[in-house]
Amino acid sequence: MGPNQAPVEVDVSESARSIIQAHLPDFPTLRCGSIREDTSQFMDIGYGDVVPLAGRHYLVLKDEMERRFGLEDPKYWVKRCKVLETGERRILKLVFYERFPVRLGGMEIPCHRSPRKESRILELVRGDARFMQGVTELDGAGNEVRILEIVQGRRLDLAVHAVDLDHETYFRERFPELARLYVGACRALAFLHSHDERHGDVRRDHIFVESGSGAWRWIDFDYTFDFRERPFSLDVFGLGHILLYLAGKGDLTRESMAELGLPAGRVADIGAGDGLLLFPHRVANLRKLYPYIPEDFNRVLMHFSQSSNVSYDTVEELLDDLLPCLERMRAS
Amino acid sequence: MDMERLLVAVDTSSASLRAVEYVAEFLRGDGGRYVELVHVSRRPDRDLFPDDAAWEARLAEQEAEAEHFLALARDILVERGMRDERVVPRSLCIREATVSETILDLVREGGFGTLVVGKRGVSKTEEFLYGSVSSAVVHGVADCCVWVVG
Repeated sequence: MGPNQAPVEVDVSESARSIIQAHLPDFPTLRCGSIREDTSQFMDIGYGDVVPLAGRHYLVLKDEMERRFGLEDPKYWVKRCKVLETGERRILKLVFYERFPVRLGGMEIPCHRSPRKESRILELVRGDARFMQGVTELDGAGNEVRILEIVQGRRLDLAVHAVDLDHETYFRERFPELARLYVGACRALAFLHSHDERHGDVRRDHIFVESGSGAWRWIDFDYTFDFRERPFSLDVFGLGHILLYLAGKGDLTRESMAELGLPAGRVADIGAGDGLLLFPHRVANLRKLYPYIPEDFNRVLMHFSQSSNVSYDTVEELLDDLLPCLERMRAS
Repeated sequence: MDMERLLVAVDTSSASLRAVEYVAEFLRGDGGRYVELVHVSRRPDRDLFPDDAAWEARLAEQEAEAEHFLALARDILVERGMRDERVVPRSLCIREATVSETILDLVREGGFGTLVVGKRGVSKTEEFLYGSVSSAVVHGVADCCVWVVG
């Protein structure tokens, strides 16, 4: 090529078309994208592109969306894909290191998104049905791409919300089984902690209830915080928050209490000390709203409240208090 | 428990500086005591950094900050009458244990009669998330006097 000649553009879309149509002959030709060996610029990777990894080819279908509080938030580094060779569906999580502030209990805390952490945990939990499964493979540029199996099921919060019962009936008839499954989820996190790993984002929409079996499975382990003196505190607090959600059949806030039509006297009795430590607008003292909640169980919940001077440092401490309460509830 | 031996556990905070100043004033004229100034920090978590270069840069920065603080603290003590050879600075960068656990181990291993730590005012939330070294050592110490300088 001479010095005054324009560089020749290589048409890579032809190569993507070949491989796509070899496996999916009905795929629209005009939608065939490019082969993406380097996934560094994940914003540029979209529908119809193909990501080659470890001898397989992943056809990108769409960006994953996070749905919370009625809003959809696109996660451009997470792609829903189809494996061309097998037809299986997979999720690709591309490399995206991010630091962003999170508000907890009135404080702004730096949170880090760490692909390498999630890769390490995926390796640790391989074959363990309590956790989402996946492997990490390098793309053409050496980026560590996580290839995740899709969990067939429903988010825990949606599963609980769908239970159409008044609270007392729910608490007596459904909560005991949910509590049993919850204890299993706690033990799963204890396993991570015993290997000096943290989940990092323990919340109710990071547990999936599997279709058919009803088993619970943790997802999304890529968040991390710099809490070196109390490395497991946020995970344990997250477990407490989930327990409150399960026991209360939802978050109890000023708004939700009004919608539930709870007796005005009980609502008025809720004070600042009854709120959650890190989310003060959510009620921890459920017994004030639902007097049939056993006192010993409520004391466990209150460990996560504004008024508590003692918190659980480990999952074991939480379970040591919780299990006897659940046993007494079952026996009564 | 050796009452002649003090362990002053510091980080690079103003609370630690206050603790050093307090020890310097308290021991003024008593230059014979042995004071070990130990800076305990945890190695930066590799997961917080996008690559090895960024992590190594932070590690180097952390080590430089510790050395600078220890030199400053040592000067304060010597200027107030502590004997030069009786003030021993030491920097520890730990990987797995917590800072408070490490300090308690140092107290036990060194037979120190007094442990000095600084304390800054923290909210309940902050203490829940980040912990409190001063609270942890007060709860965990044995056979040693603890001075918490606020």
